[in-house]
Amino acid sequence: MTTLALPKRWQVPGWGLCLMIAMLGELTYFTFTTRYFAANGVPGILVLAEQFAPTGVLALGMAMVILTGSIDLSAGANASLTAIICGLGLEKGYNMWLCILAAIIAGTLVGLANGLLVALAGIDSLLVTLATQFIVTSILTSLAGAEPPFNFSVTFQGLGQGTVADIPDDVLVFLVLGVATILIVNYTTLGRSLVLTGFSQRAAQYTGIATRKTLASVFTINGAFAGVAGVLLAAYYNSAQPDTGTILLLPAITIVVLGGVDIFGGRGRIGEVIIAGFLLGYLSQGMLIEGNSSLTITMVTGLVLIGALVLKISLERNFRQLLSVRMQRLRTRHP
Amino acid sequence: MTMAKDAEPAVRPVRDTTRRSELAWLASRREVLVAAAIILVIGISTAVHSYFWSSANISFIFADSIVVACLALGESFVMLGRGIDLSVGSIMGMSAIIVGFQIQNHNMTLFPALVFGAAIGIALGLGNALLVGVARLPPIIATLGTFSVYSGLEFVVTNGLQVDTIPNSLTNLGVHTVLPGVPILLVAALPLFIIGAIVLRYTTFGRAIYAVGDDSEAAYRAGIPVQRILFSTYVISGFTAGLAGIVLLIHTSGASSTTGNTDNLNAIAAALIGGTALTGGRGGAFGALIGSVFLSATLTALSYVHVSDIWQPAGVGVLVLLAVIYDSRGNAVRLPRMLRRRRT
Repeated sequence: MTTLALPKRWQVPGWGLCLMIAMLGELTYFTFTTRYFAANGVPGILVLAEQFAPTGVLALGMAMVILTGSIDLSAGANASLTAIICGLGLEKGYNMWLCILAAIIAGTLVGLANGLLVALAGIDSLLVTLATQFIVTSILTSLAGAEPPFNFSVTFQGLGQGTVADIPDDVLVFLVLGVATILIVNYTTLGRSLVLTGFSQRAAQYTGIATRKTLASVFTINGAFAGVAGVLLAAYYNSAQPDTGTILLLPAITIVVLGGVDIFGGRGRIGEVIIAGFLLGYLSQGMLIEGNSSLTITMVTGLVLIGALVLKISLERNFRQLLSVRMQRLRTRHP
Repeated sequence: MTMAKDAEPAVRPVRDTTRRSELAWLASRREVLVAAAIILVIGISTAVHSYFWSSANISFIFADSIVVACLALGESFVMLGRGIDLSVGSIMGMSAIIVGFQIQNHNMTLFPALVFGAAIGIALGLGNALLVGVARLPPIIATLGTFSVYSGLEFVVTNGLQVDTIPNSLTNLGVHTVLPGVPILLVAALPLFIIGAIVLRYTTFGRAIYAVGDDSEAAYRAGIPVQRILFSTYVISGFTAGLAGIVLLIHTSGASSTTGNTDNLNAIAAALIGGTALTGGRGGAFGALIGSVFLSATLTALSYVHVSDIWQPAGVGVLVLLAVIYDSRGNAVRLPRMLRRRRT
């Protein structure tokens, strides 16, 4: 379903187009129904995006993991952990860049642990990350203590709230990482082997791809992305609460699924995931501005996740049926 | 069960047919191993802290474990069919909070409460069942979605209010004991597990769940209505989660709008520790009970040696990893996608 037209040169990423149209519709809707949504024009709408940029970064890493046919339920908790590590370092007065580096390294290490458990012990990624999610949660709760770190330096806050030529820094980081992810997935050996691993692990093994190494590296990269997301969260909220990243897990997975990545792995486009990130982000932002509680938005996110999947699976099924009927007709006409 | 002969690999025999001594068979049973581990944990804890071996504490451990055990029983049905239900915790929370308000404000008695709770559980389980069995979504994503929908609903239904006054006539069920150390709750819940075990072991339906979990393709070719079986496992899971909500009310005498959000892992952990494999087709009903007693005993023991509550999730996480690594000894090279449905 990722491509609509049959002839090669007319290929249109159909799902991406649907997402684009949906996003434009959504932006128009909120512009007309909610007074504050578009009060400051395009820059204002771009600034709204900085709130969900960390979720988008998480989703990028998650997309790579899901492309391999695995899943990472610990990414959200990992982002919380890195936010707190970064915050604690800043509170102690260490150099800002040192703290950011430490946070990203911590995230990478958690990702590496996940990757090693999945690849070497051969346990299902769902179980591994379910377990590590809770282990990481314990660690970060005890690190955060009774008073989680808050109120950082202005320069650090600038990371989360500043802008470069009207584009907020967060969004810039998200877009840069998005382009990086597209490059990794489409133009590197790792990218190609991770997609093939997701499509069929056995086929990948027979092709000579080190599937375990691929899995371990993908989880590690995902951990690094979670680290970046954690830093952005700390900078944006100017504090590091224990649940700051944990609650982003579900939206991140929703973005990936909404972005048309096959949950069994092996198929999907990162570009569509990025669009889906903006689509879901603006949906939740618009609803927040309309005055809904965050739990209602969680509920809507869940509904969107289910709805997108039902739609996509049924579309795929019908599309394939339609295709086979057409092909049969073609064959009978030109024997 | 004639089809068992036709599609032999589809139905794994309940016990190994290879001739081994009874003792070796006993030692290979997960339930026996876990029971031994429970005795070990209790023994060590009692040696450290003599109060651990008291009627009040032992009955607390049992009453505490029944909540998770009910969840784990339904989760076992789902896992035996090679699915997973990440929403059991929030189904339990919904049932606890809705019935809790009825008990608190309208003096609902035990029996209607059980029926009402079970009905809520079945209704919410039906949601999962429709998504997995009819719309054929992958179970992880479907139940992750319903998890957030249900926990959001929990907040919408309660408006953030909480239940905190449950009459003593109910809470006494979890405190009063039949024998020293055996709460009424355990005796009352036991029939549920016996029925679960009988259904799994001796009915066509139960065997079909094993067959579907072991190899859904083979089960389909053997004439088992695979989707219908999957459908019913999620309904059963909702049903037991609904009952677990009532047990939770009895045990903790309260519920809030976030109740149950963290219990999913505990349910899966208990089922895994009890020997039910996530890859389907292996495990049983009593494993759920024994696994949750072990979990409960271990966590209580941790709090006795002054380990902070913060580390409880980590404890559960480590236990899950240990149980799974123990399971996968010997066949370390596993396809990580085993859990999910194959492409059609």
